[in-house]
Amino acid sequence: MIEFLNFYLIPGLVLGSIYALGAIGVTLTFGILRFANFAHGETMTLGAFIALSLASFTGWHPFAVLPLAMAFTALAVLGLDRLFFRPLRHGSTIILVIASFGLMLMVRSLVQLIWGAKLQSFGPGIQLPWVLFDALRIFPKHVTIVCSAVVLMLAAHLLLTRTRAGKAMRAMADSPDLARLTGIDTERVILTTWIVGAGLAAAAGVFLAYDTHVESQLGFKLLLPIFAAALLGGIGRPYGAMAGGLVIGLVEELSTYPWIGTDALVPPGYKTGVAFAIMVAILIWRPSGLFRGRVF
Amino acid sequence: MEQLYGIFLYGVFLLTMGGIYAVLTLGLNIHWGFTGLFNAGVAGFFAIGAYTTAIVTSAASERHLGGFGLSPAAGMAAAMIASAIIAWGVGRICIRLRADYLAIATLGIAEIFRLVLKNEVWATNGPRGISLIPKPFEQYAEPWNHIGMLLLVIAVVAVLYVLLERARRSPWGRVMAAIRENEAAARAAGKNVERLRIEAFVLGGALMGLGGALMAHHIKFIEPNAAEPISATFLVWVMLVVGGSGNNRGAVFGAILIWTIWSAAEILIARLPPEWAVKSAYLRIFLVGLALQFILQRYPDGIFRERRFRTAPSTPNREQPP
Amino acid sequence: MKRMMIAVAAGALALNGAAASAGDINVGSAAGVTGPIAELVVDIVAARNLAASHVNEQGGLLGGDTYRLVQGDSQCDPKAAVDAGAKLVNVEQAVAVIGPNCSGATNGMAQSVTIPAGVVMLSDTATAPSISDLDDNDLVFRVAPSDAYQGRSLAEHAWAQGYRKLAVTYANDDYNSGLAGVFASAFTELGGTITGNEAHEPNKASYRAELATLAAGEAEGLALFAYFGGSGITILRNSLENALFGKFLGADGMMDTSVIEQIGADNLRGNILLSQPASDTEGASYKAFAAAFENAGAPFVAHGYDIAFLAALAIEKAGSADRSMISAALRDVANAPGTVIRPGEWAKAKEAIAAGEDINYEGASGAIEFDENGDVAGTYSLNGVGDDGTWTPIE
Repeated sequence: MIEFLNFYLIPGLVLGSIYALGAIGVTLTFGILRFANFAHGETMTLGAFIALSLASFTGWHPFAVLPLAMAFTALAVLGLDRLFFRPLRHGSTIILVIASFGLMLMVRSLVQLIWGAKLQSFGPGIQLPWVLFDALRIFPKHVTIVCSAVVLMLAAHLLLTRTRAGKAMRAMADSPDLARLTGIDTERVILTTWIVGAGLAAAAGVFLAYDTHVESQLGFKLLLPIFAAALLGGIGRPYGAMAGGLVIGLVEELSTYPWIGTDALVPPGYKTGVAFAIMVAILIWRPSGLFRGRVF
Repeated sequence: MEQLYGIFLYGVFLLTMGGIYAVLTLGLNIHWGFTGLFNAGVAGFFAIGAYTTAIVTSAASERHLGGFGLSPAAGMAAAMIASAIIAWGVGRICIRLRADYLAIATLGIAEIFRLVLKNEVWATNGPRGISLIPKPFEQYAEPWNHIGMLLLVIAVVAVLYVLLERARRSPWGRVMAAIRENEAAARAAGKNVERLRIEAFVLGGALMGLGGALMAHHIKFIEPNAAEPISATFLVWVMLVVGGSGNNRGAVFGAILIWTIWSAAEILIARLPPEWAVKSAYLRIFLVGLALQFILQRYPDGIFRERRFRTAPSTPNREQPP
Repeated sequence: MKRMMIAVAAGALALNGAAASAGDINVGSAAGVTGPIAELVVDIVAARNLAASHVNEQGGLLGGDTYRLVQGDSQCDPKAAVDAGAKLVNVEQAVAVIGPNCSGATNGMAQSVTIPAGVVMLSDTATAPSISDLDDNDLVFRVAPSDAYQGRSLAEHAWAQGYRKLAVTYANDDYNSGLAGVFASAFTELGGTITGNEAHEPNKASYRAELATLAAGEAEGLALFAYFGGSGITILRNSLENALFGKFLGADGMMDTSVIEQIGADNLRGNILLSQPASDTEGASYKAFAAAFENAGAPFVAHGYDIAFLAALAIEKAGSADRSMISAALRDVANAPGTVIRPGEWAKAKEAIAAGEDINYEGASGAIEFDENGDVAGTYSLNGVGDDGTWTPIE
């Protein structure tokens, strides 16, 4: 039982909160700008590398430079939006998807040009856990990651419910036509969307990098589970994305638990398939997702 | 002179690969261009086609299923049938999903296929892949072997082009366009929308399987890495959208244009001094991305626009006013 | 479209004419620079280029021609490899091709480009047994031993070190899956027990769950077959942090300085054993290479240097940049007997060849004696983390 907590549930929670942060950005761009942004994974990578450079430049803890890294990432993404998405915004959405694919290639190769393709990390070495009650193993870094993720999600929640910009975003995600009729400034909403999505993506990248290491394909490797999480939660539903991220993270880890007998339930070779299988199942039986998102 | 000959041979390779991508793009055009099905799982059908022909045509080996000894032509036919059957199954489950959802579902399904190919080692040799796949015309000396393969690919593309142009103009094609533009109206007119969509999905899937089979024969080897989404799904999408979706000529042109950019960019990059070493490869991908953005902004409707039967209001899925 | 193709061809021709100036001899250097093992390839390419600069600094090829390695990106994908190969062989007029990385890419490029064109391909990383089966007219060589050797050798070492019960996990890619299969069956034949043998998908953020399931078998250690970047470091970290496994065995895909940097020398010392093909890291050839290259112990880096150097030796031996003569010359310069040439000794080799002597290249990665399939036999040493915090051979 305690093994279940230590090695399946807690890692699942950590992974899930990272997915959740990433998925918020995907679901917002999907809900408001109407396209699946393939460059979102690269935003995470960019965030992690910016934080790495800032941390090595200032010598501070990665979490101390996190706000700055989020700001820089958001700024970079705004620049990319201005250059590559805005000119296409009034065409068909498929063009935007293809443009985001092109952007994904560009950002990744830029990251590789600047920082190289080799592994780097915030702090080398391993970290030993606190052992509670002689059995429960809790890692300080996991506590920091989960707590920071919760703080960021709360901040996102407050932004969406308490501020004008947030309300406008939710209105746009719910019904763009209606939102426009009520006189919401579309471009401003889009601006906020990118800032929120990119900031959270940068945080997700930094958290993952802090837990493991940084390399140029960090974000791309997360892209599909994050899409699955956004979809699971329902498109345009930030809370859904949070829940979806947690569910996908947990299910991926729990799928290899020896539920029956002593072998893993799902052979680990198929572990990545679990997220996709859930995603497909959700799409087929409940396309609006857990939180009744938009169905286009 | 030798250099001219070399460039000619490279041109043969370039067009062969571009032509194989054109088969995939034509398949995708049936899905997206004609019917409006957002299939992001091209790699899945590509892989099924490639593995089917690899298994039925390669020599017996203890490493994987095989030893059926069929000819490449029979292999390609088997590939089309296998991918058509799988497309039918996938279509039955997913076809009623709306555009973006279908995309994500098919993307997920394609990834699951790839995991199966990697893990079911007894049949596919897992990540080690299937080698020694026969190639048409390989018994001839260079350059005739390569030219033979190119002519085969050109013939396939030409036949598909003619057939698809006919299909597009046929009542079937018109109904497809009607479904894409206004599903409710098509339904009201008594069309079995779901059935027609599945038909289109199966047809497109079969072409993607054929593309996969041609690729397997061309490179004489297939492994799960060859069916990863970047070069087997997204690149095909880029080709279709750049060429002009809904237009078969655009699909073929887009495939060859984008493949040329993708491939030939490396020749320019190779001129950089050796200090650039690995960086030049990153730079190439960056430039390809930039070229793509340029084309998208210059030709937002694709280089060849769709030829409509009559003036239609707008492209599908458009929600914002111009 | 036609105009476009002509323009492209003309452009390529113009550039080609400009670059392949009279004093250049081109050899294709195909590598998976972008793609799943990008982080591994950086050093391999650097080592190949180091060999080229050694050649050029010490007199160049033949009558003073520049040895030029033209890079092609094979992306670890057979489709990309065929495309890259077609460019290297045809546009760049490469005399021979070194690389590509990944067995799949090698298989594709060899079968559909280099063998039909009669160009020698010399791979530094392809370990799949299927490459020996190719009908290659003696045109495909590799200095990376087929993994049948390494898996068996590691199993024997593990047995000799006293391991009797091991768990196995491997990254599900062409290199590691083959190795794990050979290791598991060899270890069982020796009388050992494999408590669990599971593939894992590389590039995941965490492997705690898989490792916990494997650890339930109470093995004495974990045989870990992975690239250090894809999943190796993450698995070591997850295992040590959670006290799931304390002892590790692995192959050369793990042997990178970044493993020690990331995990910490003190955490690994005495706990990890990695096999490495360079049979004698104490030997003169390896030392000569290590003196010239910073990250000499990284996976396949020594092999990368060797193939670039061997290709140059073969051209020098052939006496002209003639594709058809490379294969025979390659065997000549690599196999015993002859004056021993070590990494970096280009001037000496050039002199010996000019004097008509037979030479025998003893590479950084091993003695390099090609058999009839163009393969080399593998002998392996075991390495652990030494007192100075680097990978050090263990007796």
